[in-house]
Amino acid sequence: MSEVATVVTGWGITFIVIATYSIWVVSRGKIIGQELGIGEMEQLDARKDAGATTDL
Amino acid sequence: MLAEILLVARKDLRVEWRAKIALGQVAPLALLILVVLAFALDANSSLLELGAGGLYWVAVLYGGTLLIQRSFDVETDDGNMDAFRMSVIGAPSLFLGKSLALFVQIGLLELVLGSGVAVLYNVRVVDWGLLLVAAVAGTIAFSVCGVLWGVMSAGLRVRATLLPLLLVPVLVPILLAGSRAFETALGVRADAGWTWASLMLVIAAVHTAIGLGAFGFLLEEG
Amino acid sequence: MTSAIHGNAKMTATATTRVLGVLAIAATALMTVLGLLVSPADVIQGEAVRMLYIHVPSIWIAYGAFVLTSVSSVLFLRRRKRREDQGRHYDRLAGSAAEVGVVFTGITLVTGMLWGKVTWGTYWQWDARLTTTVLLFVTYLGYLALRRLPAEPIIRSRRAAVMALISFINVPIVHYSVDWWRTLHQKASLSVGRRPEITGEMYWTLLYSALTVTIVAAWLIIHRYRVIRLEELRDEEALAALISSRLKKDDGSN
Repeated sequence: MSEVATVVTGWGITFIVIATYSIWVVSRGKIIGQELGIGEMEQLDARKDAGATTDL
Repeated sequence: MLAEILLVARKDLRVEWRAKIALGQVAPLALLILVVLAFALDANSSLLELGAGGLYWVAVLYGGTLLIQRSFDVETDDGNMDAFRMSVIGAPSLFLGKSLALFVQIGLLELVLGSGVAVLYNVRVVDWGLLLVAAVAGTIAFSVCGVLWGVMSAGLRVRATLLPLLLVPVLVPILLAGSRAFETALGVRADAGWTWASLMLVIAAVHTAIGLGAFGFLLEEG
Repeated sequence: MTSAIHGNAKMTATATTRVLGVLAIAATALMTVLGLLVSPADVIQGEAVRMLYIHVPSIWIAYGAFVLTSVSSVLFLRRRKRREDQGRHYDRLAGSAAEVGVVFTGITLVTGMLWGKVTWGTYWQWDARLTTTVLLFVTYLGYLALRRLPAEPIIRSRRAAVMALISFINVPIVHYSVDWWRTLHQKASLSVGRRPEITGEMYWTLLYSALTVTIVAAWLIIHRYRVIRLEELRDEEALAALISSRLKKDDGSN
């Protein structure tokens, strides 16, 4: 492989990995949120579960 | 405390002695690994002589993992972990006791494997002192890491596959240092055998200290 | 409650993280332009130097994430008895940081191997940093495996925290033992107190890339943290539902 092709491959793999991971995380959150009947993160905070003071 | 340590170790060894898994199954299997490794290298005698130190530690890793697994299956099958938690024996004594029992078992395994390597790979020891120090340090590290990771995966259904995955990365420095130290002790590499052996002693000490500190957390009930 | 589901689909997002997300995408776009087009090719490494704008920041952020995992694990072990929630937010932070760290370690390895292929002519060299990195990768994969196992959550979290600590203590031991074994790698690209070997536009591009990767990683860690929290909530509700259905059944039979 030429240098340019290698660099493009490396950047391409990185972008694909990060994009896939982000989509996985967000959609997983969405799916579980729907299961639980929560629509927004703020509503989760409104629940009385796990001490939310220092939560992200 | 010493009495407690010996009590725990003696209990483990007695259980093991009755079942004779270590001698009856693990040691023969580890010897078989030595034979298979010779197949892999096409029984090339000069290669085997050069690699004997490393191959020995690979076989110890394999057999040792099985022994560690066994040491905790015995506990969790009988619900002994709960008994330990409630007993008056402190976590450090328990940790050292189980480590001592494993040390004895892995040590015996190493004796068998050492004789196997000597015969099958045709090696000659030039520095017995170095060989012994490296073997003892390596065995200590194996035992204490084994007890730590063993209790970590104890009681989980997938422990058979989880334990080696957790154990091998922490044992890598020991395998590396042990292989180099043995090569010097067997006269196939001139340099730094004692440096590697002292590194092994340091690693063994570090992991023993970690174990003494962390074992209590691992035994704690929810 | 249910009406809110249709109203907004972005479950793990809040206003802050949406801004962070947009920032991450914009920063990445600029990083691509700077790294691939604007910055010059290296005299010695040629175009291959562009790989380092991903490779080097990735390993920095991976180490940063693993440090975060260790610190959170310590805090989790220390606070577990004092707080009513048993310090579980530290456990979540440890888990999400470790996962993001593993992703970036993987990226470091892949980009490093590609870079090595064009620069050294081989994908793999048994040198200290490569070997340490691959062991780090496997170690934290094991950590994530431990976190995923079916067990009582608080016990599993405690075991994971201890494992995170031991793994972290083990990193320098692994590194120095492999380093003694053999060393063949270009010196660290940027180090405190020494003049960096990468200079000028390349230097600034590298620093900027590090900033971008940090923003992306922060976004990922925050969202992953929230997903872990949702997973816990789901498991708790499932358990509660199971218990109440059992109780009902018992009432019926009596």
